Amino acid sequence: MMSAQRFNRILLVLLLSLTAIWLIVPFTMAVMWSLVDPSEPWTADRLVPPVISLHRWRDMWENSSLKTALVNSYLLAPSAALAALTLSMPTAFALGRIRFPGREAAKILALLPLIVPPFVTSIFFTSLLYQIGLHHWRFGAILFAHAIVFMPYSIRILTVSFEQVRADHVDAARDLGASTWARWKVAYLPALKPGIFASLLIVFIQSIEEFAIAFVVGSPDFTTIPTLLYGTLGQDFVRPNAAVLSLILVVPNVLLMLILERLLKSANPALNSGKG
Amino acid sequence: MTLRKWLFVLALLTPGLGLIVAFIGVAVYIAIAQSFGLYNLSGESGFSLEFWVKMLDRKVFSRAIAYSVYIGVLSAFLSVLFAYPLAIWLRKPFPGSLTIGAMLKAPLLVHGLVAAFLFINVIAYHGVLNQLMQGLGIWDGPKRLQNDRNAIGVIVLQTWKNMPFALLLLTGAVQAISDDVLHAARDLGAGGFDRFRKVIAPLTVSAMQAALIIIFIGALADFSFQVIAGPTNRQSLAQLMVFYKSGGRWNDAAVVGVTLMGIAILGSVLLAALPRMTLRGRVA
Repeated sequence: MMSAQRFNRILLVLLLSLTAIWLIVPFTMAVMWSLVDPSEPWTADRLVPPVISLHRWRDMWENSSLKTALVNSYLLAPSAALAALTLSMPTAFALGRIRFPGREAAKILALLPLIVPPFVTSIFFTSLLYQIGLHHWRFGAILFAHAIVFMPYSIRILTVSFEQVRADHVDAARDLGASTWARWKVAYLPALKPGIFASLLIVFIQSIEEFAIAFVVGSPDFTTIPTLLYGTLGQDFVRPNAAVLSLILVVPNVLLMLILERLLKSANPALNSGKG
Repeated sequence: MTLRKWLFVLALLTPGLGLIVAFIGVAVYIAIAQSFGLYNLSGESGFSLEFWVKMLDRKVFSRAIAYSVYIGVLSAFLSVLFAYPLAIWLRKPFPGSLTIGAMLKAPLLVHGLVAAFLFINVIAYHGVLNQLMQGLGIWDGPKRLQNDRNAIGVIVLQTWKNMPFALLLLTGAVQAISDDVLHAARDLGAGGFDRFRKVIAPLTVSAMQAALIIIFIGALADFSFQVIAGPTNRQSLAQLMVFYKSGGRWNDAAVVGVTLMGIAILGSVLLAALPRMTLRGRVA
C-alpha cells in the first residue's frame, strides 16, 4: 500500500499544477492581452502577441474615464471604511461589553445586509433616493449605502475585539485613577487596534470591489473601477482594454488582502493589550 | 436591567444596528409596497394585485425563476462537493499544505468581474482552451463556448469563485474534529466513505449548511456572471429586475425583487433542512 506521505506528495504536485493552470494561465493571458500593440492584432496562430507595447495602458490612462473612476473608487473606499468604523463602534461596544437580553439576536440582525441580495438593496435604495430627492449627489448616496451594507463586517470584527479587552486592565487603570479617556487609551485601544485596522481594510476592499450599488445608484454618469470594467466587458468589448482594467482592479486588492491576513493573524489579545 | 441601562444600550445600538435595520428594512419595505402598486414614483399609487397577476403570466418571469434556481442550487452543491475532500485532505498540516491551501483560496481575492473576464479569455473562440483541444486532436475546429445554452460557463465561474469560500468554512469545521473520534471509527471498522458519512459529515453539518446557503443566495442573485458569460436567450432574476428598473417599470422590478428574496429565504430553509434530513439520526 502507498504510504500516506507518498500519497500526499503526489496529490500535492497534481493539485499544485492544477491550481497553477487555473490561476497562472488566465492571468498570463490577461497580462499579454494588455500588452498587445494595436499596430498588429494578436491572431490565433501566434503564441505571444506579435508586437508588445504599453500603448493600451497609456491609451486607457489618457482617453478613458479610468482616471475619474480611480479617483472615485479611491475616495469612496477610505470614506466608506471610516464611516463604517465610526458608525459601528458604539454597537460593537454594546455587543462586546454589555450583557443585555436579546444580544445574540442583535448580533444576527446586524448581518442583515449580507442576506438581502445586493441588487434588491440597490434598486430600492435608488427608489428611496428619488422619493426624497437625494439622487443628485451620487457620491454621497453610494458612500452612505456602502457604509451601511458593509457595516456587518466592522461590527463583527470590532465586537470580537471589544470582547477581548481584558477587564483587569480596565479595572487596573481605574484603580490607578485614570480618567475615562485615559482608560480608553491604555486599556481599550491597544486591544482594539488590530480589529480597527482589519475593519478599515476589509470595508475598503469590499467598497473598491462593490458593483451592484455603484452600478445602479451611480449610472449613468458616476463611474467606479468595477462599473467601468463592466462597461468594457459589455457592449463595447475591447479585449486589451478590459485586460488593462482587470489588472488594475485585481493587483492592489491582492496586496491589501495579504496585509489583512497578517493583521488578522497578529490579532492576538495577549500580545496586543500591552502586557501579556 | 434598569430603564437607564436600556436607554444606554439602545443609544449605542442606534448608529450601527439601528441604521442597518432602518436602511435594509426600508429597501425591503419599498420593494414589497411597490410590487403592490404603492409608493409609485410617478402616477397614482394604490393597492393592486395587477403587477403580480401580469408578471405571473409572463414566460420570461417563470423562465428567469427556473434559471436562477438552477444556477443557485447547482453552484452551491458543486462548490461544497469539491471543497469537502480538499478540506479533509488539508485537515492535518503537511509539507506544502499551507501553499496549496493559499493557492486554492486565491480566487477569493479575485473580483467577480475580473474572474469573468479571465474566463471568457480562456474559452474564447481563438482562446487557449480551443487551441489546446485542437492541438490534442480532440476537436476538429474551434468551438463557440462563450454564452453556452446550458450556462455551463456561469456554473464554472460560480464554482471557481465560491469553492474557496466553502473550503474556508469546511476546513475550520473539519479541523475541529479530534483524532480520537476518527481513530475510534476506524478501529470499529468504518471505511473511508463510512467515516465521512457517519462521523465527518454530521460533525461539520453547520459549516456545510452555512456554505450551501450563502453560496446559494449569492448565485441565485447573480447578475454580472450571467450578463457576461451566461446564455443570451435567458435572463436571471437580478438581470430581469435591472432590465425593468432601467425601463422605469419600478413595480415590475419590485415584483421580481420580492420573488428573489422569497426564493432566497425559502431556498435557505430547504438547504438548511436537507443535510439534517439526509443525516437523520446522526446529527446531535
